[in-house]
Amino acid sequence: MDWNILSWLIWLPILGSAVIILIPREKADTIKFVAAVATGIQLLVAIVLWTKFDSSTVGFQFQEKVSWISSLNVHYSLGIDGLSLPMALLTALLSFLCIFVSWKIEKAIKGYFALFLLLDAGMMGVFLSLDFFLFYIFWEVVLLPMFFLIGMWGGSQREYAAIKFFLYTLAGSVLMFIAILALYFACGRTFDMIEIMAIAPTALAGKLWWGFESLKVIWILFFIAFAIKVPIFPFHTWLPLAHVEAPTAVSVILAGVLLKMGTYGILRISYPMLPDGAVWFAGALAVLAMINIIWGALCALAQTDLKKMVAYSSINHMGFVMLGMSAVVAAGAKNGTNLIAAEAGLNGAVLQMFNHGIITAMLFILVGVIYDRAHHRNIDGFGGLGVRMPIYTGIVALAFFAGLGLPGLSGFIGEAMCLIGAFPVYRGIVIVSVFGILLNAAYFLWAFQRIFLGKLNEKYADLPEINRREIFTLVPLAVLVIFLGIYPTPVLDVMKTTLSHLIEIVQSSSLLALQ
Amino acid sequence: MVVPLEHVIILSGLLFSIGVMGVLFRRNVIIIFMSIELMLNAVNLALVGFSRYHNNVDGQVFVFLVMTLAAAEVSVGLAIIVALFRNRQTVNINEMNLMKN
Amino acid sequence: MDLSLYFTRQDLWGILPEIVLLVGALIILSIELFARSQRAAMLGVGILSLVIAGGFASKNFGSSFILFQGMVTLNDYSTFFDLLYMTAGIVTMVISYNYLERKGGETRGEYFALILFATMGMMLMTRGNDLVIIFLGMELLSLSLYVLVGFLRHDVFSNESAIKYLLLGAFATGFFLFGAVLVYGTTGTTNFQHIASAITNNEILSDTLLSLGIGLLLVGFAFKVALVPFHMWSPDVYQGAPTSVTAFLCTAPKAAGFGALLKVFLVAFPALHADWQDLLWALALLTMIVGNISALVQTNVKRMLAFSSVTHAGYLCIGILVLNEMGVSAILFYLLVYSVMNLGAFGIISLLEKEEKGVNFKDYEGLASKHPWLSASLALFMLSLAGFPPTAGFVAKYTLFSSAISEGYIWLIIIAILNTLVSVYYYVRLIVNMYMRTSEETLVPFLHPLLSVVIFILAISIMFFGVLPGWLIDTVTQAARIYT
Repeated sequence: MDWNILSWLIWLPILGSAVIILIPREKADTIKFVAAVATGIQLLVAIVLWTKFDSSTVGFQFQEKVSWISSLNVHYSLGIDGLSLPMALLTALLSFLCIFVSWKIEKAIKGYFALFLLLDAGMMGVFLSLDFFLFYIFWEVVLLPMFFLIGMWGGSQREYAAIKFFLYTLAGSVLMFIAILALYFACGRTFDMIEIMAIAPTALAGKLWWGFESLKVIWILFFIAFAIKVPIFPFHTWLPLAHVEAPTAVSVILAGVLLKMGTYGILRISYPMLPDGAVWFAGALAVLAMINIIWGALCALAQTDLKKMVAYSSINHMGFVMLGMSAVVAAGAKNGTNLIAAEAGLNGAVLQMFNHGIITAMLFILVGVIYDRAHHRNIDGFGGLGVRMPIYTGIVALAFFAGLGLPGLSGFIGEAMCLIGAFPVYRGIVIVSVFGILLNAAYFLWAFQRIFLGKLNEKYADLPEINRREIFTLVPLAVLVIFLGIYPTPVLDVMKTTLSHLIEIVQSSSLLALQ
Repeated sequence: MVVPLEHVIILSGLLFSIGVMGVLFRRNVIIIFMSIELMLNAVNLALVGFSRYHNNVDGQVFVFLVMTLAAAEVSVGLAIIVALFRNRQTVNINEMNLMKN
Repeated sequence: MDLSLYFTRQDLWGILPEIVLLVGALIILSIELFARSQRAAMLGVGILSLVIAGGFASKNFGSSFILFQGMVTLNDYSTFFDLLYMTAGIVTMVISYNYLERKGGETRGEYFALILFATMGMMLMTRGNDLVIIFLGMELLSLSLYVLVGFLRHDVFSNESAIKYLLLGAFATGFFLFGAVLVYGTTGTTNFQHIASAITNNEILSDTLLSLGIGLLLVGFAFKVALVPFHMWSPDVYQGAPTSVTAFLCTAPKAAGFGALLKVFLVAFPALHADWQDLLWALALLTMIVGNISALVQTNVKRMLAFSSVTHAGYLCIGILVLNEMGVSAILFYLLVYSVMNLGAFGIISLLEKEEKGVNFKDYEGLASKHPWLSASLALFMLSLAGFPPTAGFVAKYTLFSSAISEGYIWLIIIAILNTLVSVYYYVRLIVNMYMRTSEETLVPFLHPLLSVVIFILAISIMFFGVLPGWLIDTVTQAARIYT
């Protein structure tokens, strides 16, 4: 295992970005080609990684650890487990497809693709790093290209959207950095995440900071940081604006991968390092999840802008992820040590993260397709397009049905598992959340009806059908949506061991016995 | 008769304070400049006093350096004031506010 | 007359860099006298003498000397600063090429000679081991800077900033001197080691007068490095001075001020440092908050950077508060990175500036589409100033803040971190103007190969020290170890 496969995943796009910078700006095709090759190889590497991954072992695989800044005790440390592997694959897949989604970008192509690859590398780095310093650097590296991509290639309000996104998420990462420093000093001055996972629960136990329990302080700091990324209810206001203003490919990455960084952070950092915090906060998390589900759905229902509707549907879907995560307390003695529910919840949450990445990517690409043709996204401004664009309509139907959680498509399984997991503990919340699914169905179907059914709007009598390039970007996603809807086992198998271990860690929390 | 050290310090402190007041409250650049020179001379007085008290010459050597500096500062300072006066026809510090936002 | 009574050959070898700079300055002045407008030649001589002096200075790395009966010390600490000043001097000379002409002035020999004199002064400030030498160095520096700031003598802005700088600088000198006198009076000596031993042996004339003296010294330094509430001069001076001079003014002299202040506290008053912690704490807090908030509302880029440099002085003050090996090495690291970022930022501004245009935020709209490399460099310097990883600015802030946390200044650091968050807004505003807005008329940079190379090197080193800071951290730790 000595070929540093994880480093390749991160450094391939950076290399591609460097090459693109050196290509003269007139050679647009070469630039796109390099970007496609870099992300294509990255995707292949990720698939190879998936096949080589041993899903039966606990702990990190393919680890790499080199001393980086010895005087600060910082290491270049990478590793992958059942939680990060699906995220890494998702990142590689969506980055590759997004290169083709961006094929028609005309303004400053060189900068666009260079930044895009940098963004890709940053996201990959977040999912693979096992050193807090490195993690934080990648976390911020994601932020910058995103800021430029929204601000330079976005819609009419792009400047405001970019600044709002930037300041919001930066505020989150600053809080995260304070939390990282707190852990660093509390755990004997180490940034090694594996080491901190081992030390932190005992190192923080019983420690009071200004009258507050230290682990709660750190938990809250991390939680706000991740909540802004997810985004969880009061911190979500940046999201609709950023999604709407961003170019299609960037929206795809934003919803498909960036939002997962938040829930990934909670599962990777908050849960294993602060299990007491996880138990303490589970109830609040469930309530926030419910708010996300209902609020997201209601807002989506009220939108006339199709892209905004999809953006709000992301808030709704991420609510299910959080609900699944809160189910971990079912493993406590007071809740009957219901390991099955806890496992269903966590597995469902990670599966939903993966599925939502794929479904929302499809949705945003589809919105992009219609916007490129009609130059607007007003749901009421269309009508009867089903006649004009049958293939497009078919794919949209598939994506919408996956989004509303139709059984047989991938969205259903993740959501169902999250609900089943949380049900034994948070009965009322789950029941309310189920109404969220109904609302989901309402806005998706209503939007579908307004756009594709009814009388054909004469303005769009000769709207061109979806083209081959666009179909090419959608087919892999559609295949995954159907395949994982029928047979989700491959993904579930990969993460099972890791998540069971995570449940054991949380189970060891002293708080859980009392609850 | 030997002047007690306290007297020297108090006098020097008074002169220094008068200088500071002059800088803070006068509006004419030349007067402000003179006040600064007064501060430097208060320093010189204290230096000589302490030098005498400690019976070493360090302080007196310091005085020569301060005097040299004061001379250099005056020459540079007056040159700048003259340049300013040529452009603006004023030496009032209140009128020098071109750069406030 | 036997000169060996006063100094030895070793003393002269030690100050060889200063001698080289002096000779260089005199050569430049002679060129000016006999062959006017030989700008390239004068620039060449100036850079050459800085390079030679730097070569001689860097030979001292790893060894330490006490020269002139304890008036001057040479060691890694002073050598680190020497090289910092010389780098700043070289960059300033390069970015000054043709700048004054574009602003309607004239580049004369004195300009380069004064930069060399200022460099000498700064070297004395951090090499000096005696209040007298520090004072001399500080004045050599200040007198040169007064003239440099007012160098555009037909420009009312330049005049005005020169007079403000002169008056407040001289005022600060008065405070510094009175403080020095009180320290001398109470301890009977101006030598740092002797002051320290007088304090530890309790051979002090009066505790009150000594405290007053240290306080006045601190006020003097606070003026020179622009700590709130002694910072009022800096925005006006930075804005009105020729931008090439501002680049110099906000980097090297600030480093020299902090270097000398650190040395005074480390060598002369280590025993009293604890008494001054509350005051330093308040100064740090006030400086970063006031600097930050004032920077938010500026419309002039130079003025914004002036307030940003006030904010950075506040962060640096945290290091003085810590004052252990970690804290001092963090300050040295920060000062170097800070200098590189600001030299880069002001350098780019200076080459974009033409007559009245080029200093307002609005002028930068749409720059990125016309001059992508230049904009990318400026954006990089801004991000580094904001402390964004993976630039050197992030590592600098991290080392500084973590040194303070390990000494228990947790609230101060939380406030400092929140301050950096606020500061992002005004740095990013410039980036937004460059990248996300369009304009009919964009600035036209004056690009000269030498200038491009220098800016490129500055930008690369910001990235390099951000990604691989190990070597530099080891160097500054070694330099800091001498006094801690």
